[in-house]
Amino acid sequence: MAVDESDRSYEHPLYTTLERMPGLDVATTTIDKLLTWGATNSLWVFPMATSCCGIELMATAASRVDADRMGTIVRGTPRQCDVMVVAGTITVKMAPRVLKLWEQMPEPKWCIAMGSCAISGDFYRDIYSVIPGIDTAIPVDVYIPGCPPNPEQLIAGLMRLQEKVRAVRAGEWAPKEERPETAAMQKTAPSIARVSSPERSQDITLAQLRGAGNLGLGGDMKRKSLPIVTAKAGPPAEASTAATESTEPASPDSAKAEDVED
Amino acid sequence: MTLASAARLGVDPHRDLTDYDPEADLMVLNMGPQHPSTHGVFRVKLYLDGETIVRAVPYVGYLHRGVEKLLEELTFVQATPIVDKNDYVSPMTNEQAINMAFEALLEVEVPRRARYMRTLFAEMSRISSHLLWLATFGVDMGGALGGGTTLFLHCFREREYILDLFELVTGARFHYNTHTIGGNRHDIPAGWAKRVHQALDLIASRVDEYLDLSTKNAIFVARTRGVGTLPAKLALELGITGPILRASGVDHDLRRDAPFHAYDEIDVKVQTEQAGDCLARAHVRIRELSESIRLSKLLVDGLPEGPICGGRPIKNPTQFKAKDGQAYVALETPRGELGTYVIGGGGNKGASPYRLKIRPPSLHALAAMPYLLVGGTISDAVVILGSLDPIMGEADR
Amino acid sequence: MLKTEAYRALLESDFGVQEFSDKTPPCIEASEHHRLAATLKERGYTLYGFVAATHMPAVKGAADALELAGHYEVATGLRCPTAGSHIAIWRVRLGLDEELRTLVDLFVGADWQEREQYDLVGVRFADHPDLRRLMLPEDWEGHPLHRDYPIDTPHPPWR
Repeated sequence: MAVDESDRSYEHPLYTTLERMPGLDVATTTIDKLLTWGATNSLWVFPMATSCCGIELMATAASRVDADRMGTIVRGTPRQCDVMVVAGTITVKMAPRVLKLWEQMPEPKWCIAMGSCAISGDFYRDIYSVIPGIDTAIPVDVYIPGCPPNPEQLIAGLMRLQEKVRAVRAGEWAPKEERPETAAMQKTAPSIARVSSPERSQDITLAQLRGAGNLGLGGDMKRKSLPIVTAKAGPPAEASTAATESTEPASPDSAKAEDVED
Repeated sequence: MTLASAARLGVDPHRDLTDYDPEADLMVLNMGPQHPSTHGVFRVKLYLDGETIVRAVPYVGYLHRGVEKLLEELTFVQATPIVDKNDYVSPMTNEQAINMAFEALLEVEVPRRARYMRTLFAEMSRISSHLLWLATFGVDMGGALGGGTTLFLHCFREREYILDLFELVTGARFHYNTHTIGGNRHDIPAGWAKRVHQALDLIASRVDEYLDLSTKNAIFVARTRGVGTLPAKLALELGITGPILRASGVDHDLRRDAPFHAYDEIDVKVQTEQAGDCLARAHVRIRELSESIRLSKLLVDGLPEGPICGGRPIKNPTQFKAKDGQAYVALETPRGELGTYVIGGGGNKGASPYRLKIRPPSLHALAAMPYLLVGGTISDAVVILGSLDPIMGEADR
Repeated sequence: MLKTEAYRALLESDFGVQEFSDKTPPCIEASEHHRLAATLKERGYTLYGFVAATHMPAVKGAADALELAGHYEVATGLRCPTAGSHIAIWRVRLGLDEELRTLVDLFVGADWQEREQYDLVGVRFADHPDLRRLMLPEDWEGHPLHRDYPIDTPHPPWR
């Protein structure tokens, strides 16, 4: 969930005044309804479109199925957007960037996982360079299945998101409980626990955030700050040492570059 | 640092600057991998002297999905929907490429009707791919809320007609999984030919407007004329094929020069330009669009009768086996030469390829970026990248 | 511009290839790789085609020394862009610790293609100006298209 309102406190004198004056809470509920109407009908989309679903995202914004009829327009910068639509396969090289852009979006923010690759990695999920679903890194609100989903399905997903926004703002949202029998049906769970599941450890989240924060001016790919585990690395050791030798001459310069960036 | 001093110091536009030189006073602007105009996840680091690009270092691999490794585990029959996702704006040509390679390896005959159908689908796919290119090119130049959206909305509307036609045949808008070893799986329904003619006539009437736009609109011409000139010799050395090579003056088209499937029975008029800049590439693609419309009408009228699949019907995934042998088959996609090099004799007792290498035209086109961007401005960078029409799913596989 | 027969004749006369088959491209010595590419480029094969490297693991009890130890097979293709465009493909076999001479001085496009083959398969190219990874992150360990690299290698904290 993007916004966690469970610890919000209403002890502010403004609220207590509002509660005491007769008739004033009718005005606040009406204002709240107005604000909810505004929020749901102007969901600006940040297109994290990496592959084929990105084409269907563009087709949704185009003439036949026009996303603008719902107030949804596509904006290029995360600072102005409410919804990040993750459309397409996210790879290990791309995931820190997705997380960094998610962190740059201001709250309240929502995430839609569009397409099979963003939900679970599709048939690429077991490949060495693909994330098995974007919800191992960021919390997803609406999942739209399909490969790729039709533009009409994306509109339906946005409408489901609108319902969710209304429910959350009215305080009526309760996350779906995971039933043990359906959890057992999942034959292939991702190796990194999903953001919403209780098995996810804090270390993974911190390592992901650190990796996303490490992206800087050029030194990111040469930094070895993330733990990388290779199971049964078959190739001869000289290949990897050759790779480290080619990067070593640059390391004193990456130290200099670190002072320059950020 | 000016361009002249960069050349004097022997600064190669192609290599990464590993030393940060404070005397050089260059600004580094990182464009991508997420950017509205990078046509997918492509990253290019621009070293700027004011507004002029002194060096550009591209990075790819943000969509590397390990398709070649995956195809070593899957069988020949299972490969079609996997490679569908490579060049996702013209999926018919991907499927055709891989099935042609497997047919060459397994020595399976393709019947005449299937050859015509495949060629027809490829040409229609070329129309929809060039329409999508024109749409995104308009957005690159005009912006999401500027005049570019007009072109975007118009071209996507036309593209939807083609996708509707494909949906009538295969059931999907894209990612069809309709090609198979030996032919096609879905046959053409009744009344489809008439709809094809209607849709193509509608598109043809509008293509003239697009050609007018690119020759007469002052902004389009000002932003593309003389921008990103690619010399023919460099294009050949880089391995660039397709409309980019033809716009640089080299008359090479695999449909005419090394014909495959039904191309040896029809006459393809190859469009070339001499200038090699973005305007030339735009002209070549728009003229190829109208040429493909003409070819599609010819093909849909001349479809022969007969079976649509020459291989055995698929009963289990391991039914096609190859003990050894190698094959390289190339065909002409809207981006250039898509080649598939396959070595037989892999796992599953020979039902999988041992190694499959896909030669992506987009990766070769992206290798030209450092040469084309140097000396231009940032706005030229966007236009040049748009005119190269890269598809990252294919470049990174 | 050479057609298939003339290509075979060139290989037989200048490069000492005896065996030709319809199913596989001809195989030349690793030391002749660059010379063949230069010869073909002079004869009009100016369009860079492809390079595809394959890792062949060690085969027990093989007669050939390279097959016994495990080797790489690198296939290269150059195309002639004139009419009747013919692509000339040849194979080279290398030991696991040998380096193949790069074609960058003839074809600039070989730069990225050879980097990709180094990245994914592990073949090293001698005299390459900048042999580093292309597709995978720079600090990746291992070459995924090796036959013994498991496809589902984990990479915490992302997978």
